[in-house]
Amino acid sequence: MEKKIEELQKRLKEARLGGGAKRIERQHAQKKLTARERVNYLLDEGSFEEMGALVTHRTRDFGMEDQQYYGDGVVTGYGTIDNRLVYVYAQDFTVFGGSLSETHAEKICKVMDLAVRVGAPVIGLNDSGGARIQEGVRSLGGYADIFYRNVKASGVVPQLSAIMGPCAGGAVYSPAMTDFILMVEETSYMFVTGPNVVKTVTNETVTSEELGGASTHAVKSGVAHRTASNDVVCLEDLRTLLSYLPQNNREKAPDIPFEPGTEYREELGAIVPGNPNKPYDMHEVIRGIIDAESFFEIHKDYAENIITGFARLGGKSIGIVANQPLFLAGVLDSDSSRKAARFTRFCDSFNIPLLILVDVPGFLPGTDQEWSGIIMHGAKLLYALSEATVPRITVITRKAYGGAYDVMNSKHIGADLNFAWPGAEIAVMGAKGASEIIFRKEIKEATDPDQKLAEKEAEYAAKFANPYTAAQRGFIDEVILPAETRRKLIKGFASLENKEVLQPNRKHGNIPL
Amino acid sequence: MKKILIANRGEIAIRVMKTARKMGIQTVAVYSEADRDAPHVRFADQAVCIGEAPSSKSYLRGDHIVEVAKSLDVDGIHPGYGFLSENAAFAKTVTENGLIFIGPGPEAIHTMGDKLAAKEAVKAYDIPMVPGTDHAVSDMDEVLEVAREIGFPILIKAAAGGGGKGMRIVESEKELKSQVERAMSEAASAFGDGSVFIEKYISSPRHIEIQVMADTHGNILHFFERECSIQRRHQKVVEEAPSAVLTPELRDRMGRAAVDVARSCGYVGAGTVEFLLDDKHNFYFLEMNTRLQVEHPVTELITGQDLVSLQIRVARGEVLPLKQEDLKIHGHAIELRVYAEDPRNDFLPSVGKLERYRLPEGEGIRVDNGFEEGMQVPIYYDPMLSKLITYGADRMEAIQLMLEAIARYQVEGVQTTLPFGAFVCRHQAFRSGNFNTHFVKDYYAPEMLRTRDEQEAGVAAAVALKYYLEEQEKLRIPTT
Amino acid sequence: MPNPFEVKVNGEWSFQMGPETLEGYDQARLTPESFHVIHNAHSFSVQILEADFNTKTYKVSVDGKPFSVSISNPLDQLISAMGFELGSSRNVSHIEAPMPGLILDIPVSEGDEVKEGDALIVLEAMKMENVILSPREGVIAKIAVEKGAAVDKKSLLIEFK
Repeated sequence: MEKKIEELQKRLKEARLGGGAKRIERQHAQKKLTARERVNYLLDEGSFEEMGALVTHRTRDFGMEDQQYYGDGVVTGYGTIDNRLVYVYAQDFTVFGGSLSETHAEKICKVMDLAVRVGAPVIGLNDSGGARIQEGVRSLGGYADIFYRNVKASGVVPQLSAIMGPCAGGAVYSPAMTDFILMVEETSYMFVTGPNVVKTVTNETVTSEELGGASTHAVKSGVAHRTASNDVVCLEDLRTLLSYLPQNNREKAPDIPFEPGTEYREELGAIVPGNPNKPYDMHEVIRGIIDAESFFEIHKDYAENIITGFARLGGKSIGIVANQPLFLAGVLDSDSSRKAARFTRFCDSFNIPLLILVDVPGFLPGTDQEWSGIIMHGAKLLYALSEATVPRITVITRKAYGGAYDVMNSKHIGADLNFAWPGAEIAVMGAKGASEIIFRKEIKEATDPDQKLAEKEAEYAAKFANPYTAAQRGFIDEVILPAETRRKLIKGFASLENKEVLQPNRKHGNIPL
Repeated sequence: MKKILIANRGEIAIRVMKTARKMGIQTVAVYSEADRDAPHVRFADQAVCIGEAPSSKSYLRGDHIVEVAKSLDVDGIHPGYGFLSENAAFAKTVTENGLIFIGPGPEAIHTMGDKLAAKEAVKAYDIPMVPGTDHAVSDMDEVLEVAREIGFPILIKAAAGGGGKGMRIVESEKELKSQVERAMSEAASAFGDGSVFIEKYISSPRHIEIQVMADTHGNILHFFERECSIQRRHQKVVEEAPSAVLTPELRDRMGRAAVDVARSCGYVGAGTVEFLLDDKHNFYFLEMNTRLQVEHPVTELITGQDLVSLQIRVARGEVLPLKQEDLKIHGHAIELRVYAEDPRNDFLPSVGKLERYRLPEGEGIRVDNGFEEGMQVPIYYDPMLSKLITYGADRMEAIQLMLEAIARYQVEGVQTTLPFGAFVCRHQAFRSGNFNTHFVKDYYAPEMLRTRDEQEAGVAAAVALKYYLEEQEKLRIPTT
Repeated sequence: MPNPFEVKVNGEWSFQMGPETLEGYDQARLTPESFHVIHNAHSFSVQILEADFNTKTYKVSVDGKPFSVSISNPLDQLISAMGFELGSSRNVSHIEAPMPGLILDIPVSEGDEVKEGDALIVLEAMKMENVILSPREGVIAKIAVEKGAAVDKKSLLIEFK
C-alpha cells in the first residue's frame, strides 16, 4: 500500500509543477504568477479542492503523445471566497502556453456545469496562447463547448473573467460573454486578430498593448470593466467584486452588519454649485450617500459621462447608475447608454437593487452620434431600466431634461421611488432653449430681443426649472433635502426588500441590440 | 467630620475616598474640564468642576477650592499628594475659613519645606545629618577647610539653584580647587550667584524613609521604613517595605530619629522623614515630606493599618488608637509606579488612549488605580496610571508575585514602566537586596528591555504560528 | 524549505520559522487560547487575544505585553519579492479631448507630478465647464494645447511620462 501512496504523491507533485521549474521562473520573470499561485491567492486559505489534476491530453498527432503534462494546462476546481463557494479555472501558461485542447476545455466545462447545478459563481483566470493548433478542430469544438455554457450560465450564476496574460482569437468570446472582465495592466491583452495579421491586411502598425492591452480596453472599447496594476490587485478585485454579488440568481447578495446612526449627511448639501453651468463630481454625491469606502466602480475610464458601480447602503449591496456632470455635462450618448444598460441588466439578473442618480441635460447632439445609432443605443438604457424588476429608486440632483428625464428611471418606466433635490430642474429643456422656442414671436418683436429673452428665460425658469410641477403630478414622490438622502434611501430600499413583479409569459423581449 | 473634599485627582483621590466611604463620611470630588470623565469624579458623592485643564487653572486654585468646600458644607479637606498638599498658604486658608485641613499645620509645612529651616529645627534633637556647610560659601580657603573636616569625597552644590547645574563630586583634595572654581563659575553664570554648599558625598546611598503619624495629643508613632532606592532621574519607581538591609536595631534608631524630627516642628498627621543610608549603615537626615506619600500602601500592607483613616481620626482630634509597641511588621510589600512613560525611550511621557487596560487581580495584589480602558492619558498632569503593589509572606514572594502581576497587567495604547518593573524584579542586584540609588544608572539600559522584547516577540511568533498551523488542519465547510 | 514561514511581529521583528523552529518552543496548552511556553529555559505566559485565519494575523500577549503577529507563507513571500503592491495605478499614457470644445484653463504645467483625480484641463463644451481629471498618478510630459484653444474630439491634450 505504501508504494501505491508514493505513486500518487509522485504524480501529484509533478502535476503541481505544471510545465516545470524553468517555465515557472520565466512566468515570474514576466511579473506573472503561475495558475496555481493565482488560485491559492484568490481563494480562502486552504479552501481549494482541485479537480482533474491528473488529466492528460489525447492527441496522438505531431509527436504530442510524447509531451504529456498532468492537468493539461488548466487548474480547475472549487474553493471559497469569504467562505462562499466558487468554481474556478486558471489557465496554466507554463503548459503548452496555456493553449486550449479538447481535454483542457472538458475540464473547464466540468466546473461550469457543476457551478450551474449547484448555483455558485464561476471565475475564469485567462492566460492562454489560444487554441492548441495540434488539436485542430477539436480545439475549436472545445471553445464552442465553453461558449455554449457561458450562455447557458448567463444570468444564472455570476461569471467573472480575469485576463492575466494573452487572450486572442476565438478565445476572447468566452470572457466577452461573461459578466465582468478584469485585465491586468501590461501583462495581458485581448484581441480577435493580432498585430501581425492586422499589419498584413490593413497595413496598420500597432503593438499588442496598443491594439488590445488593458488601457485600450478600459478606455477605448469598454471591453474591460476594470484594470489592475498586477496579478495580486486583480485577484483582490475579484474577491471584492464577489462580495457585492449573490451566489446565483435565486439569492440576494450577502449583507454586511450595519448599525444605523442618524445617517444625516450635511456635506451633500454643499456639492451642487449654485451656477447651473458649473459642473461637480457626481462621485462626491455617491460617496456622501453610500456606506463608507464601499464604492466599487465598473468601467471607470469608459464613457465617463455616466458612472456605474456597486456600493453598499446600510450594509446592503446595490448597483448605482449616475450621470457625471463633470464630463460632457453628463449627457447621454451611445457609449454611456450601452454601458449603463448592460450594468442595469446584470443587476436585474442578480437581484441587486438599483439607485439612479440623475443630472442629465439631454442626449449628445452631433452626426457622430446620430450616424452611430444613438437612437438604438439610447433605447437600450430605456429598455433595460424599464425591464428591470429589482427595486429601483431615483434621485434627481439637478437637471433632468427632455427624453433623458424619461430614460433615467422616471416614475413612468416603473421606478419604485422617485426623489428630487430642491435644486432639481425637471423640464422639457433648459430655460433658455425653451424660451427661445415658446416666446419666439415675442422676442422677435421686442425692442431689445436679448433683454426680452433674458426676461422670458427668467420667467420660464421660475415656473418650470424646479421639481414642483413634476411633484404636483406625483412624478416625483418627494422633494428631499440633500442631507436626508441617505436616510430616505436606506428606508426606501428596506421597504422594497420583498418587491415582486409578475412578468407576462414570453421567451424574451427584443432589446434593440 | 461628615463630609470631606479631596483636593486632588486620579488614584489618590479614589484611594482617600475609599477610606472615607468606609468610615461613613461623605465625599466631594473636584475636577478640571479635562477630567470630566475621570473615575474619581464618579466615585464621589458630589463633584464640582473647578476650572480648565491646566493645573494652575484648576487643582492649584486653593482659594476657589475653599469656596467650593464652604458652599457644600464640607468639614475637612484632604489635599492628597502634590498639588497643594505642601502649600502652607493653602493650609492656612483652609483653617482660616473654619474648615479642617487633613494634614499638618502651616508652620510645620513651612519649616520642613525649607531645607535650611528644617536643618535648624532638628538641630536640637541630635539627628545625624549629612556633614556639610549650613551656609553658602564662596571663599576658597573656607571651602578647603570644610572639605578637610568633612572628609572626601565631597559634593559641591550651587546655593542659588538646582537641576544638577553646579553640582560636582570631588573625589580627592587634588582636584578640589579646580572643581570648586568651575562649579562656582557655572553657578555664577547660570544663577547669577557663585556661592556653593559643600556636603559629604554619600557614595553608595540608599534612600530609606520612615513613615510617621502624630496626633494632637503629643503622640508620635513611626510605622517603620520604606526602601526607595530604585529611582530614575531622582523620581522613585519601585518602593518596598521593609528594607532588605535594616536590622531591628537600626530600624529602631532611625524610627526614633524620625519621631524626633516630627516632634521638632510640632507635626500633626501623616508625614515621611527621608534619610540616606550609606554602605556602613550610617544614616543621615535629608528632609521631611509633610504629606501622605505616593508609596504609603506598602507601609499599610506590612503594618495592617489604614493610614488615611488615621489621618482623618487625627484631624478629628482623636487620640491615636495604638501605641508604638502595637506596631509590628508582617510580610513584605513592593510597589511599582505604573507611569505612562516609555522606558525604552528615556522614560519620556507616552501619550495616547488606553485602547486596552486590564488590571491584574488576586490575593496579595493591590492596584491603586486612576484610569479606565478607553480613557485618554491627559497631558496636563503627572503621567501616573496606577500603583501596582504586591504583598507576600516574605520579600521573595512579593517579588515573584510582582512579576506575575506585571504579566497579567494589560495595557495597550501607551507605553508604561511595567516592563521596567519586570526588569528590576528579575535583576540579581535587586533580588539579592544588594543595591542603592545608583541601580538604574549602573544596571539599566533600554537595550536590556529590547533583548527581552525580542525574546518575547519570538515566543509570540512561535505560538501564533503553531496556532495557525493547527487551524489549517481543521476542516472549513463552504457556505453555499 | 526548512523554515517556510516568515513571521513578522509588530512590524519590528521578522522571524523565519517552520516546524523545526517550533520544536524549540515547548508549548503547553492551558485553555484553547492560553499557553505556558518554555523557551531556552525561560518561562512565558502567553495568550491569543485575536485571531484571523484568513489574513493570517494574530494578536498575542506574552507576559501581559501585546504583540501583533503576521504570518507569510511562501506564496506571500514570493509576491512580496516580485514587488506586487496592492495600490493600483492607471497606465494611461495620454489624454484626448472627449469632445470638441474650448480650453478654458490648464491648472497643471509640464513636469508636474499629479495624483489620480487631480484636475488637468478645463474644457468648455455643451455650455458647461468640463473638468478632465487625471486617471492616474504620474508626471506630465507634455501639454499639447494652450489656454483659449479650440479643440476637436480626440485632439491630444496631455501626455504622461
